[in-house]
Amino acid sequence: MADDRRPARRWAEFPLAMAMLAPSAVILALFVMYPLGRAMVLGQQRCDNFGENCVSNGLDQYVDLFRSIEFQNALEVTIKFALITLPLGVIFGVGLAVLADKYLRGIGAFRAVFSSTVATSVAVASLMWLFLLQPSVGALANIGVFNSIFPSVKDPGWLQDPDTALVAVALSSVWANLGFTFILVTAGLQSIPRDLHEAAAVDGAGGIRRFWSITVPMLGPTLLFVMVVTTARAFQAYGEIDLLTGGGPQPSNPTTTIPYFIYGQNSPIRNDVGLQAGTAVLLFLLLLALSGLQLAGIGRRVHYE
Amino acid sequence: MSEIAADVVGPIESIDPDVVDLRGRTARTRAFDEPVGWRKWSRYLLLAILTAIVVFPIYTTVVAALKPGDEVLDNPLLPTSFTLDVLREAWTSGRLGRYLFNSLVVALIVTVAQVVTSVLAAYAFAILQFPGKRLLFVVFVATLLVPAEAIVVVNFQTVDGLGWTNTFMGLSVPFLATAFGIFLLRQVFMTLPRDLRDAAAIDGVGHWGFMRHVAIPLVRPTIGALALFSFLGTWNQYLWPNLVVTEQDMNTVQSGLRLLSKSNLDEPNLVMAGTVIAAVPIFVALFIFQRQLVRGLTAGAVKG
Amino acid sequence: MMRRRGCVAIVLVGLIAASCGSGKSALQAGMDDPPEAVPVTTMAPPGTAGTDGSTPDGTAVPGDTVETAPPTLASTTTIALLADLPECPIDALDAAGGPVDITFWHGLSNELETSLIALTDAYNASQDRVRVDLQNQTSYDSLIDKYIQSSQDSRPTVVQFPEYTLQSFAESDTLIPIQACLEASGYDMEAFLQRTVDAYTFEGIQWSMPFNVSNPVLYYNRDMFETAGLDPDVSPITLDELRATSQTIVDSGAASFGWVVDNGPDSGGGWFLEQWFGRAGELYADNGNGRLAPATEVLYDSQTGVDLLTFVQSMINDGLAVNVGGNPGGQDGFLKMIDPAAPGAMTIGTSAALGSVIAALGGGIAPGLTPEDIGVGPMPGPSDTPGAQVGGASLWIVADKGDEQTSAAWDFITYLVSAQSQSTWASETGYVPVRSDAVDLEPLASKYITDPRFRVPYDQLLTTVEGEAALSPVLGPQREVRVATANAVAAIFGGADVATSLTAAAEQSNALIQSYNDRN
Repeated sequence: MADDRRPARRWAEFPLAMAMLAPSAVILALFVMYPLGRAMVLGQQRCDNFGENCVSNGLDQYVDLFRSIEFQNALEVTIKFALITLPLGVIFGVGLAVLADKYLRGIGAFRAVFSSTVATSVAVASLMWLFLLQPSVGALANIGVFNSIFPSVKDPGWLQDPDTALVAVALSSVWANLGFTFILVTAGLQSIPRDLHEAAAVDGAGGIRRFWSITVPMLGPTLLFVMVVTTARAFQAYGEIDLLTGGGPQPSNPTTTIPYFIYGQNSPIRNDVGLQAGTAVLLFLLLLALSGLQLAGIGRRVHYE
Repeated sequence: MSEIAADVVGPIESIDPDVVDLRGRTARTRAFDEPVGWRKWSRYLLLAILTAIVVFPIYTTVVAALKPGDEVLDNPLLPTSFTLDVLREAWTSGRLGRYLFNSLVVALIVTVAQVVTSVLAAYAFAILQFPGKRLLFVVFVATLLVPAEAIVVVNFQTVDGLGWTNTFMGLSVPFLATAFGIFLLRQVFMTLPRDLRDAAAIDGVGHWGFMRHVAIPLVRPTIGALALFSFLGTWNQYLWPNLVVTEQDMNTVQSGLRLLSKSNLDEPNLVMAGTVIAAVPIFVALFIFQRQLVRGLTAGAVKG
Repeated sequence: MMRRRGCVAIVLVGLIAASCGSGKSALQAGMDDPPEAVPVTTMAPPGTAGTDGSTPDGTAVPGDTVETAPPTLASTTTIALLADLPECPIDALDAAGGPVDITFWHGLSNELETSLIALTDAYNASQDRVRVDLQNQTSYDSLIDKYIQSSQDSRPTVVQFPEYTLQSFAESDTLIPIQACLEASGYDMEAFLQRTVDAYTFEGIQWSMPFNVSNPVLYYNRDMFETAGLDPDVSPITLDELRATSQTIVDSGAASFGWVVDNGPDSGGGWFLEQWFGRAGELYADNGNGRLAPATEVLYDSQTGVDLLTFVQSMINDGLAVNVGGNPGGQDGFLKMIDPAAPGAMTIGTSAALGSVIAALGGGIAPGLTPEDIGVGPMPGPSDTPGAQVGGASLWIVADKGDEQTSAAWDFITYLVSAQSQSTWASETGYVPVRSDAVDLEPLASKYITDPRFRVPYDQLLTTVEGEAALSPVLGPQREVRVATANAVAAIFGGADVATSLTAAAEQSNALIQSYNDRN
C-alpha cells in the first residue's frame, strides 16, 4: 500500500491508468454526474411547458416542493409502500427458503417454482397481476368462490378501492421480488455450516430454537442485503404503478409514489421540467439519507463470519 | 435490477455460489435434514399450497393466453379450450418478435460494454499505481448512490440533443459503464498476489498481457455473474425506453408490452399472450444460467 | 430485530419529512413571491374582443354550411397576426426530387388505429410523392408528453392533438397554423361543418385541421332494456329519464346497475362535465369559454355544476349507478357492462369507441352478447334536446421541418380530410365526419342506413343549440384543470360534499390558469 516510490515512478503508470479509466469515466461523467448536477440547477427553476420563460427561485423552490401537498402525499405513499413490501418480502422469502431447505424428494421442483418470479420483469409481473385483479374481466373476480369470500375484488376492485390499492400493488411487487429473495436466502442457508445445526440439535435445541439462534444470525448479511434492496426498490417503484393503477384511484392518489409523481401519467408536474428535476433531486437526497441510516444504523449489528 | 447497485458495498463473503444448488440434487445430509413421518407429509402439503399461490398469477396468464377471445371470461381457472392463434397474433400484429430482438440487441451491447469498461477500470484501480487513485475511486463509487429516476430527465435531454432518440445508441450509451461492475471486479483483482504481478513484470510481461492471460481468467466467474446481472438489468428497464422510443419498431420488450397493454385492454387474452412471449426467453435463459444467477445475485450483496 | 431496524430507518426518514407540509400545491413551488404579473401583451383588451362580429380578412372560412349559424364568436378576435406566424409553403412538394418522408404521431388504439393504418396505407399507395410513417404514441397523454419533452428536431412533421390542448399548442411557437396553409392553397372549406372549424380556432386563427371528431353518446344493453320491459329503441335523453330508466332496470333485476359512470379526466371526471355545461347552454369558463379572449377562470362551481354532480352522486348513493373509477384506458365502463357477475346496463362513452366496441363484441369477449345487442343513443344531459360540443382531435403541422416536409404534410392532411377519406373513416370508427358531403358518399351513406348507431354522434352535433356555450371551453392548462376537476368529481362520487369539492377544485383550476397566463 504505502509505496515510497520516487516521483517519476509514481507517475509511470498514470497514462495507462487514465486510458483504462477513460471509457468508464466518460460515461459516468456524462450520464450520471452531469445530469445530477444539471437536475440540481433545473430544480430551482420554473419554466413554461416548453422550457421557455424561466425564472430562478433558488432553494425556496426545493423547500416549497418538499412541503407541497403532492410531494408529502407521494412521500407518505412511498414510505407506506416500503413498510408493506419490506416485512412481507422478508417474511415470505425467508419462510419459503427455510421450508424448502430440507432433504425431500422433488424439492428441486419446489425451489424452481419459488425462484421462478426472478425471471419476470416489472412489465410482465404487473400485467399478470392486472389480469388477476381487474374487477370486471379479471381472473380473481370471476372465480365464484373467491368472489364470495372477498366481494371487494369485484366491487369496487382491489386496485380501484383507495383503501386497498396500495396493498394490492405491494403484493404484486412482493410476488415479483419473491424469486430474488428466495434465491438469496436459499444461498445464505446453504452456506451455514451443517455442524452448527447438528451440534445444537445434539444439545437438545429444537427446530424453532435453532432457527432463531443459528439461522437468523448467520443469515445476517444476506438479510441486510435483501432489506436494502427491497427498500431501494420501494423508493424507486414506477412500472408497477404505471401499469396497475396509474397512481390512482383519484382523488387521494394512494399509489402515487415519488417516481410516479415525477413521471406518471396523471401527475400535475409531468410537463414542468423544473419541478420534475427538483423532485428527482429530493428523491436522490432521500435515498442518500436512507442509505446512510441503514448502513450506519444496522450494518454494524449484523453478524459477519 | 440495476437499482440493486445503488446500495452495494461488497459481496456476501459467507456464500459460496458454487455450492448453492437450486435444483436440489445435492442438497442436504439425508440423516439430519430429511423429515420423516407426518412431518414429511405436512411439509409436502405446505409446499404444495405455497406453490399453488406463487404459481397462480403465472397459471391464469398462461391459461388466458391459450384461450380464444370468446372464452376468456368463461372460467379463468380451467383451460377449457386451446389455441395458439392468440400467441401468433401477439407475435405478429403485437410485434413481440421485433421487441424481443431489440431488447436482445440493447442488452447484449450494454452487457459487453459494461464488462469491458468494468474490467479496464477495475484493473487500473486494483493493480496500477497512480496519484489520486483513492479519490478517483471514491468518486466513481459515489455514482452508485444516484438513482436512475433522478437523472432520467436530463439524460433524455442529452440523448435527444444528440439525435439519438429511437436508436440503439440512445437505448444503450448511457449505460455502457457501471460503478457496480468496477467495484465488483476490483474486489476480485485485489485478491491477486502482488508477487504475481511483480514476477510477470520481471519476465517482461506488460499490463495488457498480464490482464489477458492472468487477471481475466482468474475473475472469469465474477465476469459471468456481472454479465448476467447487466443483461437482466438492461432487459428489465422500463422508464428509459418509454422515454426515448417514439417509433414502434424501436420498442424494447418492456415498452412494447406497455404499448400492447394500453392499446388492447379490450383483448385481455392478447395482452396475456404478449406477456407470456415476453417472459419465456428469460425463464429459459435463467434456467440455463442458474449458477451465474446465484453468483450474480449474491455478488451484489452488502457488507457493512 | 433487523427487520424492525430496517423499518425504523424508513420511518425516521419519514419523520424528518413529516409535519412540515405547507398545504400548498407543488405547482406553486417557488412562486410565493411571484414576479410582478406581466401584462399579457398578446391578449386583446376585453372590450374590443368579440363584439363587432366581423370576420378577419382571411379567406379561410367562407360561407356557412347548412347546419350552423353565421360565423361564431371564435372567428372575431384576431389578435395574433397570421403574418407573424410561420408560413406554409404548399408548393415545395412539386419541386422535391424524390418521395418526401414524413412522420405522423398519433394516439389512437384498438379499431381506431387499425382504420388509421388502412387510411395511411391507402394514401401511401395512391401517390409516390409523399411517404407517411405512422407512429403510435400509446395514448393522447403519452403523445402530448412526448411532444413536449422532445426537441423540435425529434418531433414529427404531422401530429394529432386532442381538442383540450388547443390554446397551449397554439401558444407553443412550435407549430404552423393550418390557416396559413388554407390561405396559401385557397383550400375550399365550404363543405366542412362550421362548428368543427370553429372548435380549432383560437384568437381568430384556425390552428389545426379537424380530423377525428367525436362526442359522448350513450351505450346501452338492448337485452337488458327488454328484460326490464323498456323499449330498446328508445334511450333516455334527459337526466330525469336516465334516472327513471336506471330505476326500472335495477328494480326489474335486468342488471345490477342502471348506469356505469367513471371519474377519468377525459371522460366522466372532466370532459362529460364540459359537455353537460354546453348542453345546458352555460359557460364553463369566462370570456365565452375562453373563445373571446383567453379564459381567466372556470365557472363550473356554479349552481349548474352543483346540480349536475349532485344528480350523479345521488344515483350512486341510491344504487342506480356504479363508479368504475379513473378509467385510465377508457374501457373500464364498457368492461363493467359485460361484467359476468354485476353488470351495468348503460354507460356514456365517446362515440369513437363504437367501432372498437362492435369489434370486441364480434370477437366474442362477452359470451351471449352480440354486437347488435348494444344500442347507441344521444348523450343524456341537462336539456330536452340532444347536443354536444366538438371533441376528439385534430391534425397539426410542426414548424421548422423544411418546406418539402411542410408541403408534404399539407398534402397528407388534405387526403385525410377529403370527403372520401372521411366517409371511410367515420363508417369504421364512430367518428363524426368533419364535412357534410362525406355523408353522401359510400361507404358512410349506406352505413348510416344499415347501422343507424353510427349516425347518432353526427345528428347530435347537428342538433346542438347555437349559443356561446356551443363550443367547448378553451383553457391554457386545460389538461391540468381536467385532472383537478376529475379529482373533485372522484371525491364527490365517493360521497364528498358537492359544493365544497367543486369550489376547491375551481380555486385550484383558477390558480393554474393564472399561473399559465402569467407565463405566456
